[in-house]
Amino acid sequence: MTEEAGLRPPRGTAPRVSIEAKDDAVVAAGAPLARLRDAPDVCFVAPMAARVARVSLLQGHRLSEIVVFRETGGDAIVHDTSGADTEAGLRRLMQRAGFWPWLRRRPFGGMPDAKERPTAIVVMAADTRPFAPDPRLALDGLEEAFGRGLRALALLTDEAPFLCQQPGPALIDSADGQKAHVVSIGARHPQGAAGLRIHALCPAGLDTPVWDIHAEDVAALGTLLETGQLPLTRLVSIAGSALRESRLVRTQAGADLRGLTYRSVLPGAHRLLSGSPLDGHAEHWLLPRDRQVTALPRDPSRPTRHWLTAALTRSASARPVIPSAALDQAFGGALPAAAFTRVLSAGDDETAMKMGILSLLEEDCALADYVLGDDGHLRQLLRGMLERIRTEFAA
Amino acid sequence: MNRGIWTRETVVVLLLLAYLPLALFWLWFGNIQDMHRLALALLVLAIWQLVFLLARAQPVSLSAGITALAIAMLAPEGLGGVRLILGISFGAVMGELVFGGWGRNVVNPATVALSFLGFGFPGFAWPEILLPVAWAAIPAAAIGLMTGVMPAGVLLSAALGATGAVAIGVLPGFALPAAGVVLVLLVADPVTSATTRLGRWLNGLLFLALVILFANAWHGAAPVQFAVAAALLTSLAAPVLDEVALALWYARRRRRHGRH
Repeated sequence: MTEEAGLRPPRGTAPRVSIEAKDDAVVAAGAPLARLRDAPDVCFVAPMAARVARVSLLQGHRLSEIVVFRETGGDAIVHDTSGADTEAGLRRLMQRAGFWPWLRRRPFGGMPDAKERPTAIVVMAADTRPFAPDPRLALDGLEEAFGRGLRALALLTDEAPFLCQQPGPALIDSADGQKAHVVSIGARHPQGAAGLRIHALCPAGLDTPVWDIHAEDVAALGTLLETGQLPLTRLVSIAGSALRESRLVRTQAGADLRGLTYRSVLPGAHRLLSGSPLDGHAEHWLLPRDRQVTALPRDPSRPTRHWLTAALTRSASARPVIPSAALDQAFGGALPAAAFTRVLSAGDDETAMKMGILSLLEEDCALADYVLGDDGHLRQLLRGMLERIRTEFAA
Repeated sequence: MNRGIWTRETVVVLLLLAYLPLALFWLWFGNIQDMHRLALALLVLAIWQLVFLLARAQPVSLSAGITALAIAMLAPEGLGGVRLILGISFGAVMGELVFGGWGRNVVNPATVALSFLGFGFPGFAWPEILLPVAWAAIPAAAIGLMTGVMPAGVLLSAALGATGAVAIGVLPGFALPAAGVVLVLLVADPVTSATTRLGRWLNGLLFLALVILFANAWHGAAPVQFAVAAALLTSLAAPVLDEVALALWYARRRRRHGRH
């Protein structure tokens, strides 16, 4: 637990909300701080018993962040779980307990709509990103709750959920085995990238949304169903080359990254990322779905280049991507990498949709961007194309 | 931020490294005229790169070294300076630079230049590929495969296919040295060969099939001549091969998922 925490909507979104808690009010853990305007059941909840410090909204009541200070000895909200054996009751419980922002939908990313019914749900019990905490460790001792959460998720969709895990002992007992497709995946990144798994298992489309969720959150759902209290802490790995030592901690969503790292950081300027070194973003708070904090030394400031060198090396357009074995492996063989890269650079939306771009998000291209070095702009291209597809096909 | 290394220039440097054994053997067994041709090709290509850098802000690339080596090794002999400069300029400008530089071209500039020289000025003798030089293509291909900068499918399918073709006697032995060097220098170019897995295998096999066809049916053609012609036709067909492979992949995905 850190002394401060910041509540933020999922990255890239700014939903319209109505604020529930006034400044300086003391709230219990799990108490709603904000609700969506369009769907008042969907709540953003306090990650700990806390005093509300600051609420920042963008224009039009769009949520930017809510900062809270920890209060010792506060109590926790207990939800009524009686209706949770029906789909509508389960949805209402998940939304009121603040579980909804932990889901992510594809295409386009972000939190699903309150009424959306997914074609499939993919539970990621494997994370292959560098420094990622092992989900098996997070699930240790929670097998029963995990099985209960998985059975509950099966209510939300027609098809049984997919469970992606690394080889090893079964995470669910054989009775649940029929209720979930267990998929075994390798240990090397990007095999644990959710987008590439979805692309291979059940591609997302405009009318066929697919949700993905981390296995630890499924166990939290199981605990919520049993006790009425949503566990708000999660296993987070703190690593990176600007730290003296890396460690695993249990902390709340929205934890203050400086509070988590200030004891172990090396002297000198550094950057704190919420997320892995590949796809993390410089943030103040741990984002809702992230389970990694990465501290990297800040780049030494480059000397300004001579105008002649700049004129000779700076090109009018980005340099092309050359197909190589490194690029193929950065997509794990899930899709024709070079052809996909060319389609992205050319801005050919329809071919990209045929290739399955709707299953992908920025984080799935992060390894390719890293591998390509200075020539890698796939994430910007992908986001631009997704936004274009969204506006074109919404009309 | 720490970043990966696979930028365009890294690939070029690794390709140059792969071609180093080939270039060294060729220079060792060649004469002073070969050196002159290589220097001339490098100079002409450098000038055109500079022109496009100033006119279109296209960054220069070391890939000119690869093009120059291929042209100097495979161009017809005794052409004289003016014709050579004309051919190299045509290949570099129309084959590569007008498309936006190396990486955006659809045909290999060296293939275009060689075809231009061969078809435009007939009557000049094509060079003969010496056996030791042809053997040096094997380490070149090995380095390219190990570093992953040459398409493995193209090289492997052509090599396996050639072994089979020689065994059943449809591919005459005299075509092998030229075909091998052209395969490594012109066909196994990561930019202009096919990019899908199946497309790459088809690409290598198509090159082999064309070489077999020309070796048996094109009377009076030198081995380098028909190998270059086969390379040109193959690189023109590469996008079609990719389309075929992608169409099959779409069909398989549609069958499996009921949608794309």
